Amino acid sequence: MSQTFHIPGQPITAYVQRIEIKKLREGSNLILGFSIGGGIDQDPGQNPFSEDKTDKGIYVTRVTPGGPAEDAGLIMGDKIMQVNGWDMTMVTHDQARKKLTKKSEDVVRLLVTRKSLEDAVRKSM
Amino acid sequence: MFCRNQTSRATVARGSALEMEIRRGRCRRSIFLDTLQDSDIQKKIDHEIRMRDGACKLLAACSQRDQALEASKSLLTCNTRIMAYMSELQRMKEAQVMQRVARRSSDAGPMDDRHPCKAKVAISDLRIPLMWKDTEYFKNKGELHRCAVFCLLQLGGQSFDTDMVMVDRTLTDICFENTIVFEEVSPGFELRVELYSSSWEDGGSAGSTPRKLASKLSSSLGRSAGKRMRAAMEPGGNSPTSHGGGTTLLLPVPSVPGPKYHLLAHTTLTLTHVQDSFRTHDLSITANEECSFWLPLYGSVCCRLAAQPHCMTQQMMSGQLRVKLGGDPQGWTDIYGVLKGTKLFCYHKQDDKEASVDPAVTIGINKETRIRAAEKDPHSKAQSICISNQYGGEEVTHTLSTDSREDTQRWMEAFWQQFYDMSQWKQCCDDLMKIDLPSPRKPALISPKQGSLYHEMVIDTSDDISTVTDILTRRMHDSDLRSRLEQATPTPVWLSLFEEDCSPPTTPIPSHYQKPPVPRPCSSPRSPARASPRCGGRLSSLASLTSESDSPCSTSPCSRHGWTPEPPAAPPSFRPRTLSLDAKLSSLRVRGYSAGLQCACQTPAAVTSGSPHRAPALAGLSCSSTSSTSSSSSEGSGGPDSDLPFSRPGAAGRSARNLRSKLDPRNWLQSQV
Repeated sequence: MSQTFHIPGQPITAYVQRIEIKKLREGSNLILGFSIGGGIDQDPGQNPFSEDKTDKGIYVTRVTPGGPAEDAGLIMGDKIMQVNGWDMTMVTHDQARKKLTKKSEDVVRLLVTRKSLEDAVRKSM
Repeated sequence: MFCRNQTSRATVARGSALEMEIRRGRCRRSIFLDTLQDSDIQKKIDHEIRMRDGACKLLAACSQRDQALEASKSLLTCNTRIMAYMSELQRMKEAQVMQRVARRSSDAGPMDDRHPCKAKVAISDLRIPLMWKDTEYFKNKGELHRCAVFCLLQLGGQSFDTDMVMVDRTLTDICFENTIVFEEVSPGFELRVELYSSSWEDGGSAGSTPRKLASKLSSSLGRSAGKRMRAAMEPGGNSPTSHGGGTTLLLPVPSVPGPKYHLLAHTTLTLTHVQDSFRTHDLSITANEECSFWLPLYGSVCCRLAAQPHCMTQQMMSGQLRVKLGGDPQGWTDIYGVLKGTKLFCYHKQDDKEASVDPAVTIGINKETRIRAAEKDPHSKAQSICISNQYGGEEVTHTLSTDSREDTQRWMEAFWQQFYDMSQWKQCCDDLMKIDLPSPRKPALISPKQGSLYHEMVIDTSDDISTVTDILTRRMHDSDLRSRLEQATPTPVWLSLFEEDCSPPTTPIPSHYQKPPVPRPCSSPRSPARASPRCGGRLSSLASLTSESDSPCSTSPCSRHGWTPEPPAAPPSFRPRTLSLDAKLSSLRVRGYSAGLQCACQTPAAVTSGSPHRAPALAGLSCSSTSSTSSSSSEGSGGPDSDLPFSRPGAAGRSARNLRSKLDPRNWLQSQV
């Protein structure tokens, strides 16, 4: 989101990109190949990727090279807004992790946003 | 006969007299098909009636509550299906009558009105949010009022039910994991979604009186009263008599003992609701708070409704063509054209398509395309077709030509049909929507949850970092250093976890915290070889992700050890697996230092000059188990990547180092997924 930081209670708007990640099955495990940080129960000041240091959203902190997330186009520093329809802007860290690692789902469809996306859209307008 | 859009079940033999008559337009196929379709439906009805009887009997015989609920659910589904088939039968009969009337009055020619193509419609990831009162939500005591719910989805004559879900006040949403696919759907479809619920405590009251008792009652209540009661209690007593072949008498649903489902909410979805992503739709709630089966619904349902029209998935037309670009008089190329989805693929040879060779030319056929028949070319016998597309402001025209007029006509017809289909299916034709077929998986365990929302969090095998680590380390490419070290003496199993590029140990690390502890070889002090210089650097705080509660290696208060910086040879890409301080502190198990972790990691002399000193420090390793049962709510799957707080010379730029230090999991929890 932009320089004017989010006011709690107000709706969040963002330009998002759809990323669909097919989980990789290794034995009985399904992995996505990235790591997340953040959550409403975490300290947002520690997030190196967020512009707004009060943003408690879920961010991608690392993308395993060659993993399914990288193939799908996920980039380190992306903020995850939705996972398969579930909101990620106001969840705890563990809730976010659980929504990503549901064993019954082979595919996760994410909506992610990043600064470069916003800027690109702004420029093209 | 090229008759794409008709649902015809009977095939008429080619070259038969019947076919000729049909061709001449003397009689329509439909006369012969109707009766066949009729009997088809009749068979389905009979099948469903048999299923219903079976469900009734099962219901009467059930002793377990959840079995009874399942049987009741199938009963309801069967009933709905029967109703649907009956109404379809009715409609067909009416249509037949209408047709006959129409035919008599006017001579109807062959089918000249266009029908849009059918599609496959799938609905998945149904989720219905609940809105508990906060007093209800956080109650820890008191009985948990539970309901069994399921969704019934009806489209055309097809009905499907989802799996049953038990709902109580600890659930925030009702989720149905099923993906339901409807075949052969027309664009004007109406998908009715109904939510049925039944209270857990309910439905056993008067109904499930065992038969013996029923008979006793019937004899003791007096003949006629008893007979009546018995009839009421006996399942299937009112089952409709099905006359052979003709209309089936459908008497009111037999009153069966056992739990009953009631309609809680419903909604109808149509083509306008189809989208390639999740959408929220409104629900109409048909029950009120007084009912026993009531659940506080938020009033909406989220789902993903996708449609794949046949025009997008199937090949609509194919044949030999000649194509040229623009107005170039010389550039005719012979190709094999295939019309599918929004494109006309032109392959050099027909075999190319089978061989999945890329087409020579691909012409887009979408809403913006303009197709017209060109003026008759004096040189050739047939007309040619011009296809114009706008590619970024420029108009590009391809011209197609065939050998005969009939071919051209057929291609034009195919294009018209394609455009018509696109206009009917609207947004479904922009892009192919994916439909994931449900993969076979283990049935979900019904965990008896009690208590508040923030109950125990069980960390599963797959969440455990060690398994994830294993998987990922396997995928990392080897490095020289490691291969050299590999020859060394066997290392403690857990050490490999600290190194990204090392191959995992051959014995699978017991990851599940419930498994019996594996005696760790960590008591052996040698194990140095494993330690690459990198290994040393990695260990700040350690998670032995594998440690079980009684692991001998576990438990020392976590401490941070300083390490001397790595030699520059280390690749910059490694990341240690560590847990955040919070998580570790909260899941500490303090036991004796039985074996301690003596890992004297010495670097092989060949590798580096300055051997980083480690070692006794390792004894202070905290192998805190990830088996946080109830405490740590912030415990992630524990595969955080962290970086070392100490500087790493040379290998990475300052900014990367900065970032890595900021990503220290001691400060900010990260989880690997």
